[in-house]
Amino acid sequence: MADAAVRTAPVPAEAAEFPGVSIALGAPLARWSLRARDPKALAKAIGHKVPGTIGETLGGMACLGPDEWLLRLPEGASIPLGEGLPLSVVDISERAVTLVLDGDRAIDALSAGCPRDLSKFPVGYATRTIFETVEIVLIRESETRWSVDVWRSFAPYLWTALTTAASHLR
Amino acid sequence: MSAHRIANACRLNGAATVNFTFDGKPYQGKAGDSLASALLANGVVLMGRSFKYHRPRGLLGAGAEEPNALVSVDRGGGRFTPNLRATAVEIHEGLDARSQNRWPSLETDFGSINDRLGRFFPAGFYNKTFMWPRSFWEKLYEPSIRRMAGLGDAPSDPDPDVYDATYAHCDVLIVGAGPAGIDAALAASASKKKVFLIDEQDELGGGALADPALWGWLAESLKDLARLPNVTLLPRTTAFGYYHDNFIGAVERLTDHLPDPGHQAREKLWRIRAGEVVLAQGAIERPLVFEGNDVPGVMLAGAARTYLHRFGVAVGSRVALMATHDSGWKDLFALARAGVGVAVIVDLRESVDPALLAEAAELGLRVELGSAVIGVSGRLAVTGIEIARADGSGRHKLACDAVLMAGGWTPSVHLWSHSLGKLEWSEEWGAYLPGKANENVRCVGACGGNWSFGSGVHVGQLPTPKNPALLKAFVDFQNDVTAKDIALAIREGMKSVEHIKRYTTNGMATDQGKTSNLNALQLASSALDRPVQAIGLTTFRPPYTPQTFGALAGHAKDALFQPTRKSPIDSWAEAQGAVFEPVAQWRRARYFPRTGEDMHAAVNRECLAVREGVGIFDASTLGKIEVVGPDAAEFLNRMYTNPWKQLEPGRCRYGLLLREDGFITDDGVSARMAPDRFHLTTTTGGAARVLNMMEDYLQTEWPDLNVWLTSTTEQYAVIALQGPKTREVIAPLVEGIDLSSDAFPHMAVREGTICGVPTRLFRVSFTGELGFEINVPAAYGLHVWKQVWEAGQAHGITPYGTETMHVLRAEKGFIIVGQDTDGTVTPYDAGLDWAVGKKKPDFVGKRSLARPDIVASGRKQLVGLLTDDPNEVLIEGAQIVADPKQAIPMTMIGHVTSSYWSATLGRSIAMALVAGGFDRMGETLHIPSASGKTHTAKVVKPMFYDAEGSRLNG
Repeated sequence: MADAAVRTAPVPAEAAEFPGVSIALGAPLARWSLRARDPKALAKAIGHKVPGTIGETLGGMACLGPDEWLLRLPEGASIPLGEGLPLSVVDISERAVTLVLDGDRAIDALSAGCPRDLSKFPVGYATRTIFETVEIVLIRESETRWSVDVWRSFAPYLWTALTTAASHLR
Repeated sequence: MSAHRIANACRLNGAATVNFTFDGKPYQGKAGDSLASALLANGVVLMGRSFKYHRPRGLLGAGAEEPNALVSVDRGGGRFTPNLRATAVEIHEGLDARSQNRWPSLETDFGSINDRLGRFFPAGFYNKTFMWPRSFWEKLYEPSIRRMAGLGDAPSDPDPDVYDATYAHCDVLIVGAGPAGIDAALAASASKKKVFLIDEQDELGGGALADPALWGWLAESLKDLARLPNVTLLPRTTAFGYYHDNFIGAVERLTDHLPDPGHQAREKLWRIRAGEVVLAQGAIERPLVFEGNDVPGVMLAGAARTYLHRFGVAVGSRVALMATHDSGWKDLFALARAGVGVAVIVDLRESVDPALLAEAAELGLRVELGSAVIGVSGRLAVTGIEIARADGSGRHKLACDAVLMAGGWTPSVHLWSHSLGKLEWSEEWGAYLPGKANENVRCVGACGGNWSFGSGVHVGQLPTPKNPALLKAFVDFQNDVTAKDIALAIREGMKSVEHIKRYTTNGMATDQGKTSNLNALQLASSALDRPVQAIGLTTFRPPYTPQTFGALAGHAKDALFQPTRKSPIDSWAEAQGAVFEPVAQWRRARYFPRTGEDMHAAVNRECLAVREGVGIFDASTLGKIEVVGPDAAEFLNRMYTNPWKQLEPGRCRYGLLLREDGFITDDGVSARMAPDRFHLTTTTGGAARVLNMMEDYLQTEWPDLNVWLTSTTEQYAVIALQGPKTREVIAPLVEGIDLSSDAFPHMAVREGTICGVPTRLFRVSFTGELGFEINVPAAYGLHVWKQVWEAGQAHGITPYGTETMHVLRAEKGFIIVGQDTDGTVTPYDAGLDWAVGKKKPDFVGKRSLARPDIVASGRKQLVGLLTDDPNEVLIEGAQIVADPKQAIPMTMIGHVTSSYWSATLGRSIAMALVAGGFDRMGETLHIPSASGKTHTAKVVKPMFYDAEGSRLNG
């Protein structure tokens, strides 16, 4: 991939800090949308363990649906495309950016617009959900750290929505 | 402080003094006062004018049920809120509250002429009188009626406040923090459940706030609850709606009670999903219906007790009670024991509990049983009452300055009804009580019928010897509905409460009949001689009390109203001074004006630059779908009208997508990247719709196909370079791709790098010129764009926007789906026969293309139009007629779909859908314009430039 210095991002590079939560642009990632009827065939084709239940994450790979996975690896990683096999590997590295929320109140900032009960969202769990009207993939990295993948053009809206919500936390 | 403030036995002892104004006049109250209690403490009983008759009105209640004392509050800077109940407004230093629906003043209101003429304005009056002439309604009747009959003024300035919003989840949500709600919270909290206790008032306690005997218990209980980590207490929070699956909407008021709100949000919208809901909304006391029951100073007995004990305010110095229920006696005893003078206790019942009589005797109170108040004297305030025995005998008058009404209690079943819980009639309560639940919800305390207020009787209207036709005995105070109006509705044939409600407006508007529904039902029941249950009950709907639009919108205002999607190149276009236009949720650069240029000049320059040199265009917003799997070609062959299976990897094809009905829904150029991988493009606005449609077919019609769809719209930034000099511009930047025409023909795709960034390079054209579309990962889009821009300087590269793109494609007759088609255009209508695979066994929409009306002659077909006056640019959407001399209304045979000035051709061009258009080639058609002038144009093929396509293949 080209020089990282020429990348542009749709949200500020500086983290936004609030009492109890910081909101920051995550590092660039290699991302793939993976589709297959048979998880074992997929695992074999791409050489990566495949989580079996929806919501589970395994080595950067999240199971989002019965035949759908999201693989997030460090920038520059590559996997086989599985040509000719009954599966689909599509590079979506730059389709989304990651916003990382960190802090005790991150859960409250997210709850401002996400209808899921995040208190029951286990560490290591991932799901596709919404924040207000915007689709996101939400991953709980730790008790206090959350990753939010959002399509690039919706990121400024989400950034404004999350920072607004965080600024209202009492 | 004033004579109305009682020194002891109230919750505001020792509270700080607060200065506020009402109608500009300064007053003092105590911290903790409502506007209602503070005004009462200052001897102010006149607080509003009624909706229809402009009658002087005072307080009826002390809580959410208040129908009369509606006020406006101005917090400055455009922060104006009308129609607040004075009982629900907390006073604070500097509060600026104003009365409503009066002119010039609350005391002297010209509109009160309506009251004098009231006998001429019965229910249904407006509907009957202002029917004719019909044209007068909009210009005269409605504006006049609206001016006269109304509530507060709508605010005229944009709301400068910000609002907060959140979702929340709990195991048990308790609505109402009176004794029953607090008990429920204590019980639920013991089980470690996550408990929310919310209450609309500023202070938790509900009815207990008006009962000094419970104050010790209340303080202890609230202390216990506040200590528990699993309990969230939300005062000043109104649960306004109960929706499916225990979803409750509530609004928390954050700053309205503060003298200086600072920069925090004014209100917060809580969207709560609860495992179990416990409703503890209490009950609302029922007024009694008798003449003069709306004179300021006539109020509910329970409210008087609240003003006494909670706020330390005596509602009068010589108070009369009109009761049909025991609870009023107890309220009056409380007042008497606090030293308030009592004029009389009147009770309709011939006999009451001897204990009540004994207590009255002990307090030395005059009692008149089997009697009713039949009139109230005083206009702006009560000065006395007239009493008669139930048979009309023994009429006499008594002086008093307040009248308390005790007509029994109505359980608050509002939220229960929102949840679609069943209601059952209770003779004992004379009201509907919760029956079978529809959600995981239960009612506790008074709202569930589990509270003892004593006993009583329920009557529609108190007996009176006066002529009922001349009485003004109010049932619905907020809507100015009298018992007479209900009787009239019934005489005119209304039998169901739904009809009575709509005819009289009883129970309508913001308070939804909190104090009037049951009395209206009793009146209808008596008049119709049918049981109350047979009359029905109107439905409560959210919101329980009025809420601000700001709170309901939450964060969704200004930049957060909805997302504005921007491409990775948007910032460059903005810096270049581009003018933008919205396309679906995207904003796209429409044109790039240079100093002094209008759109016309800019677009002409951009068009010529593309035709003669090279233009650069941001096409990133085009929808993109990656179709992958062994059956990818088979899938596309079924979706699109044209054949896809034989398309070789590295080649592109125009795809036309129909709906099942055979009409064009989208189009786009797609490329085969590999035997099992296609890169589809869709229109900008159609991206999500096309993906949904394809997923729908895949999942429901052809689940056997091994193919998957992934949206890649945002994976790639797309830079379109168009014009004869395109190749020279990109040649130095591209590696790994042979750009020569032989190696890389029109409608092909190659992979390589540009400026060191991996690219899918398409050789395609939507302009008719040699063109490339550079797809690069979005994060590198701006970088590549800038490199191409630099490289293009030597060739006069020109940025162009969507407007120029539209002109250039129209010169070539390329359609824009949604502009030249409107959902009723088939491929044949659009002249796209060549894009329909005649030999294909099937594709989406194929069967519909054989329907009789699709193959019938005379359908509207897409043609070109050349105006006889080459300088005349037709208006898009203009109607077309064959004969301009025909009589009006003329037969319109089509309309202009696209129309532009073509700088390339030095004349105007247009496309149009015209009935039988293909057979009209060379005909002259007529296009009337709004100015009155009729333009003429010749029908031509919609191909105005380079028909042989030589420029494409250069």
